[in-house]
Amino acid sequence: MKLSDQFRFVRQNMKKNRTRVYMTILATAMGCAFLIVLASVGFGLQKSVVKEMTERRIMTQIDVYGQETTESGGYRQLDDKDVQEFEEMSDVKAVTRRKMLQQEGFYLIGNYQQSTQTVVANFPSEIKAGFELSAGSLAKDKAEVVVGYNFPLNLGVKGEQTEEMFDEQGQLKEKFRYNGKLIGETIELTVSKMEDGKKIEKVFPVKVAGISKKPTKEWAEDRSVYISEELLKDIEAFTGTPKGIVLDSTDQVNLADLEASKNTFDDVKVYAKNMEAVQGIVDELKENDYATYSVVNELKEVNLMFAIAKAGLIFIGTIAILIASIGIYNTMTMAVTERAPDIGIMKAIGANPRTIKRIFLLESSYIGLIGAFIGTVVSYGISYAVNFVIPIIIKQAFGEETPPEIVFSDIPLSLPIICIVICYGVTILSGLRPAQRATKVDVLRAMRREV
Amino acid sequence: MITIKHLSHEFVVGKKGKQTFIPVLKDISFEVKEGEIVTIVGRSGSGKSTLLNLVSGFIHPKEGEIWINGQKVSQMNETKFADFRIKNLGFIFQSFQLIPSMTAFQNVELPLILKGVSETVRKKQTEEMLAKVGLLDYQDHYPGELSGGQQQRVSIARALIVNPPIILADEPTGSLDSETEEDLLKFIKELNTDLGITFLIITHDEKVANIGHRTIELKDGRIIEGVLA
Ligand SMILES: Nc1ncnc2c1ncn2[C@@H]1O[C@H](COP(=O)(O)OP(=O)(O)OP(=O)(O)O)[C@@H](O)[C@H]1O
Ligand SMILES: [Mg+2]
Repeated sequence: MKLSDQFRFVRQNMKKNRTRVYMTILATAMGCAFLIVLASVGFGLQKSVVKEMTERRIMTQIDVYGQETTESGGYRQLDDKDVQEFEEMSDVKAVTRRKMLQQEGFYLIGNYQQSTQTVVANFPSEIKAGFELSAGSLAKDKAEVVVGYNFPLNLGVKGEQTEEMFDEQGQLKEKFRYNGKLIGETIELTVSKMEDGKKIEKVFPVKVAGISKKPTKEWAEDRSVYISEELLKDIEAFTGTPKGIVLDSTDQVNLADLEASKNTFDDVKVYAKNMEAVQGIVDELKENDYATYSVVNELKEVNLMFAIAKAGLIFIGTIAILIASIGIYNTMTMAVTERAPDIGIMKAIGANPRTIKRIFLLESSYIGLIGAFIGTVVSYGISYAVNFVIPIIIKQAFGEETPPEIVFSDIPLSLPIICIVICYGVTILSGLRPAQRATKVDVLRAMRREV
Repeated sequence: MITIKHLSHEFVVGKKGKQTFIPVLKDISFEVKEGEIVTIVGRSGSGKSTLLNLVSGFIHPKEGEIWINGQKVSQMNETKFADFRIKNLGFIFQSFQLIPSMTAFQNVELPLILKGVSETVRKKQTEEMLAKVGLLDYQDHYPGELSGGQQQRVSIARALIVNPPIILADEPTGSLDSETEEDLLKFIKELNTDLGITFLIITHDEKVANIGHRTIELKDGRIIEGVLA
């Protein structure tokens, strides 16, 4: 028997009991839509989280916090030796290391001022890692500094800062900020120390040599001032502490710790040549007891977590399809019972039992696939509605705006495919027994109308 | 064409534990030659239908062999027998056995569909066959909209559509009046002489029995007459 004829048979049979078939398709469609929408929440949230993570971080960047020391169980800060070791590792593009001045630097130019972070950076490595200037040049002597792109934008007029000085984005309004030339100008850095409970200040004049490039990430801000190693030495000489840390005499400090921090870096980042190399470098660092953080690492964990969550959601959704499959089983059993006399006659004139089985399986898969298809189409609609409505509900209920990048429901192509495969499998399973029964119809009893 | 060797059959009735065996056919042997019309007669309950059902493959024999057209069908499985049946056997039943939800045309077309014949060929052959039994004008009628005689002609058309060399008939005239019966018998004779189709016909009607080249009489599951005739 030809496949096209089998299809014709199936369609004719389905027409004979339209309502029943429609109801079964409806149940299947509901099961599939339930599965897809449920799982789409997992996919949507994963997408949002991953997007957020990858946007906020540079994928090839590995933060190295320190090395675990076996004796104390604590961490040791990194120094030149570690950095050199990292630089020699394969697939490492650059290792940036920064020392931070351990107090806020107070900067003054004319009538404008700003307190900000003061950093000693290793520029060759920073440049390898992607650091660029938007104006001027790198510092050439100890009194020269490079300022971050956002530094000039935050130089405000002296005096108390009030709310109306800032715009909606929290940026200093133009009329309140320094608009003059900066490169080549001298600004005054004021550093303080405590002596016998008294605050003593000293001014270090520095000259601005360059301004860094605007950070590539929209949200990022760089208002640091990059000073020279020698200037830090001068500041340390003034404060008498490593990296200019301000010590109150009342503070309890471990002198050994203080001494140990003298030539260490506060911020070490390893940059891999490409994303694929990150894992290898992280593994190697871990082996040597370095504490690291990388997005790739975190992504792996987050993705694993979401994979488990999605599997759970799909499992729950599958239960809905299983319930729908009871309907299919029922419909097919009734169809076989109703058509038993016809089946008997067909067998009597020479219909192959296998053909009969195939026709019934075809019918149940037809119901299943149409149901899955309708369910998929509907779930796309529901998913769209969910993404549209939930932010509104959240706003109504909690008065909070949902960030636009948050997706509540996302249907990747794989999801309908998974659903259709599950639905098809379940359909075949539930149609199998009725189809088997159809082949077992006894010809003689059927012809005597005893079935 | 059909060879039966030492065929015995018994029915099992009752639940497990207290089953009773009803012997119906006992050591039956006979042969139907190509182009023959053989009729089987006998009292009600003598086992005629059982014998034909065994030959048709609707039930399996307890003992003995059945050969049709050179093939041993008594050992065939269901699938194989189905394929064999559609190529070799045509059936005419007392109660016609048409599918009520199909038109006369569709009923006649059905064996061709099962055989996998293409639609255009099917249409042509079905129309020819309906014309042959004089029912072309009734092709869109459902069985319920046809008289008994017309229904029987549809069922004959369905049996003939695949050109089977053998036609098996269980009381083909049982539901027909005597005039219609005569038409049918004439038609069977024609098919036999013109197309050389072999017939095995069960009847308890003398008129029907008389068209046969030979008659076999069954009594209590045994052949009592006509084996050698
Ligand atoms: N499925 C069955 N189960 C048990 N016994 C059966 C079955 N079919 C037939 N019989 C028995 O077998 C015997 C022969 O039945 P069969 O139908 O072959 O007779 P028949 O010669 O065709 O009679 P009739 O002329 O009335 O049609 C009967 O005694 C009947 O009761
Ligand atoms: Mg009988």
